[in-house]
Amino acid sequence: MSNFSVGFRNNGSIQILDLRGELDAHTASELEAAIQKCQAGSSFQIIINGSNLAYISSAGLGVFMAYIEEVRENGGDIKIAALQEKVFNVFDLLGFPLLFDITPSEEEAIAKFEE
Amino acid sequence: MLSQTKQELETRAEPEKKKSRESVILLSILFTVSFILGIAYHLFEWKTGSTGPLSLQLASQAVLVVGYTSLYFVLHQIYRTRRSRPAKSLWTILIAGAVLLGVESVASRLGGPSVLPGLEAPYNLVGLDTETGIPFVLASIFKMNVLALSQIAFALILLLKLQDLVLVKRSKISQRNWFAMVGIMAITGLTFFASRPGSSPGEVQIIAMIVAVVFMLVNSFRLSWIVFLPFKEKLATIGLTLLLGVMLLLGVGVLNESAIDRLISPGAASYLEMYSYSIFNFVGLATLFGLLYATTASLSLLFHLPTSGEFTQRAGERATMQSLAHLVGQVFDADKLYATIAAAPVEAGSAHVSWLAVSDFKSGSLTPSLVSSHRIELETVEKLVDSKALFDEVLLSKTHLHLEHAPTDHRVDAKPGDGIGSLLVTPLIARDEVLGALFAAKEVIRGFEGDDIQTIGILSSQAAVAIDNARLFEQQVERERLSRELSIAREVQQKLLPQKIPALEGLSIAASSVSAQEVGGDYYDFVQLDERKLGIIIGDVSGKGTSAAFYMAEMQGVFQSVTRLAPSPCEFLSHANTALAHSLDRNVFISVVYGVLDLEKEEFVVARAGHCPVALVGQARLGEYVRSGGLGLGLDRGSLFRETLEEERISLEPGDVFALYTDGVVESRNESGEEYGYDRLLSTLQKHRYQDAEVIHKSILDDLALFLNHGNYDDDMTLLIIKWHGIELPETTPRVLETEEST
Repeated sequence: MSNFSVGFRNNGSIQILDLRGELDAHTASELEAAIQKCQAGSSFQIIINGSNLAYISSAGLGVFMAYIEEVRENGGDIKIAALQEKVFNVFDLLGFPLLFDITPSEEEAIAKFEE
Repeated sequence: MLSQTKQELETRAEPEKKKSRESVILLSILFTVSFILGIAYHLFEWKTGSTGPLSLQLASQAVLVVGYTSLYFVLHQIYRTRRSRPAKSLWTILIAGAVLLGVESVASRLGGPSVLPGLEAPYNLVGLDTETGIPFVLASIFKMNVLALSQIAFALILLLKLQDLVLVKRSKISQRNWFAMVGIMAITGLTFFASRPGSSPGEVQIIAMIVAVVFMLVNSFRLSWIVFLPFKEKLATIGLTLLLGVMLLLGVGVLNESAIDRLISPGAASYLEMYSYSIFNFVGLATLFGLLYATTASLSLLFHLPTSGEFTQRAGERATMQSLAHLVGQVFDADKLYATIAAAPVEAGSAHVSWLAVSDFKSGSLTPSLVSSHRIELETVEKLVDSKALFDEVLLSKTHLHLEHAPTDHRVDAKPGDGIGSLLVTPLIARDEVLGALFAAKEVIRGFEGDDIQTIGILSSQAAVAIDNARLFEQQVERERLSRELSIAREVQQKLLPQKIPALEGLSIAASSVSAQEVGGDYYDFVQLDERKLGIIIGDVSGKGTSAAFYMAEMQGVFQSVTRLAPSPCEFLSHANTALAHSLDRNVFISVVYGVLDLEKEEFVVARAGHCPVALVGQARLGEYVRSGGLGLGLDRGSLFRETLEEERISLEPGDVFALYTDGVVESRNESGEEYGYDRLLSTLQKHRYQDAEVIHKSILDDLALFLNHGNYDDDMTLLIIKWHGIELPETTPRVLETEEST
């Protein structure tokens, strides 16, 4: 039933999460689990790759809000990259670009970590 | 329903009952007439001193046979309707025998002695001609008739009551054997029809007797009723059968002329012999069968005594099954259910102690908790047995686990005195899910036999169904309670939304809000700031359902209290952000648009806190979204919110239409996954912009419904349409021109 999945990748010390499908109230817990897993593995540099994320609801956005503080306290960050236009619009409407680094591509997000 | 069927059965049984009652009456009359005719014949013999012609003799015999056959059927009808327990049948026979003895002993002594000593029966009778049977005195007639009647009646009762026993667990064959035996006994009796009393039987008669005896033997081994008796009843029944045997042997009936027989009822049998030689033989055969049956029954009872325990255990199992089967319906009291299930193995006689562990289905964990025990304390169980480890094993194997030598198992910490020698763990499986485990223990090692394991297995599957039902029932109750609560919550939430839309001159407003679930996180409201100033808010709490609804209620509180203090949209939203920051969860935020319509200044000042932008169409406007900057409420708790928030001032022109909505409108997707979208919303607004707010509102919802092509929304959806018609003033025309120039 769930048409959402999270893929894990590494780029050096950066943990990249590939989101696929639709992130809504039902699937938000899967992203939560994925971020918790990163934290448990002491990876606090996280890039969310949204190139395959087709839809995000407000509950999905809430997941980022729930963890960002903790990740930043640990010297890391959650950067969001390669969002589809429609999904970016949802982030943008709420003002997420003011709170998160949202980059057009994964490479730019990696570059930002390396700064 | 049930009582009705019962009634129907009764009414249907009514004519049959009536018919049998009628036949009993008819047969009784027939018997009485025959009996009186018999007496009349004897009176005739006494009066004339001769037997009359042979035809009369035979006719009188035939009348007697017909009469007593009638009596047989009368008794048969009476007893058929009253079937009784084995012991009671035997008691009836014994009492009938005792009555017979009493009657015989009195009757045979009336009017002087009945027999002469030293002569062979039946030639020793006094008071009648032993050659012809002609009575010499009236007393003989009386004695003969009374003694014959009582002896025959006893023989018939004996047969009919033994029939009850023989035909327990009847089959077609056993029934046929029984009636064949009775028939052959009757036929054997009839072969003596023309014989002189006291004459020795011929070849035919001997063959008939042998056949009768063979059938008697066959029937005397029909003893199925014995195995069902409990131990004590078996003992008592042995007594009864022995008593019956002795009674029949010593002279109740017509088997022989023993010393005691002579002592109690001298000549009774001989009188019957004189009365009717064929009936005398039938009665003799019946007595013989009684004796045979009493013998086989008492021996069989004796041999079955040691196995009584087994049968008691079986009976216990059946009773336990039945009580469990009832429990399947009794799902209201989980504790009672658990107690009954925990006790079942012990009550069925398959274990010495037992206890029950069930997994906690509410928390969804598979960790079992001990819920009930029987003949052992739960604390003791916890100390002696690692029930969880054993449960885990049957959880995986889904079959029973039998520890023949329990104390040697690492999961059992019992010493020989603790009562756990062997342990049987049976999973309770319903719908392929292990709901718990039933633990049964015996004091001895290797205590569980195959049938114990089987019994407990059956108990367990019954128990699993009962527990499953109880759980489903509980879930159903919970679900109903929740849905009731939610419908109350829905009512409350509906009251948080404006009950009526404010009416301001020159303005038309239409609004609606639907929740995907019972309650939702969408909010809209109005506040009349002064006569020509209206504050309008629309908001959307992130997430759905109950938690969103609570924050929506909080938003409503903030709106109602803060707007009057902070009239500008930016001020209000900043206050609201501060007010809500403490109570919102970190992952929850509220997107809001707040605008103030000033009809005096003819402007709409609007600020957007992360919400979908206001759509604006007008007479001369192309249609646009007012997308000022701003974060959702609760996203930032510091100064960033205030710093990034922008206000937009829009000069009102007559015909301007504003649409405020939640993402449920634009993000609603049809079956092919396409979103309704901002463009479609704007063009629909354009199309209907000349209508008033009510019509535009309806048109958009209709268009959305048409687009979705299905009735259910998967998100909360709120739509608010505001139309500024302008105020009818004399200088309207120049004003319009003026504004047109400015754009």
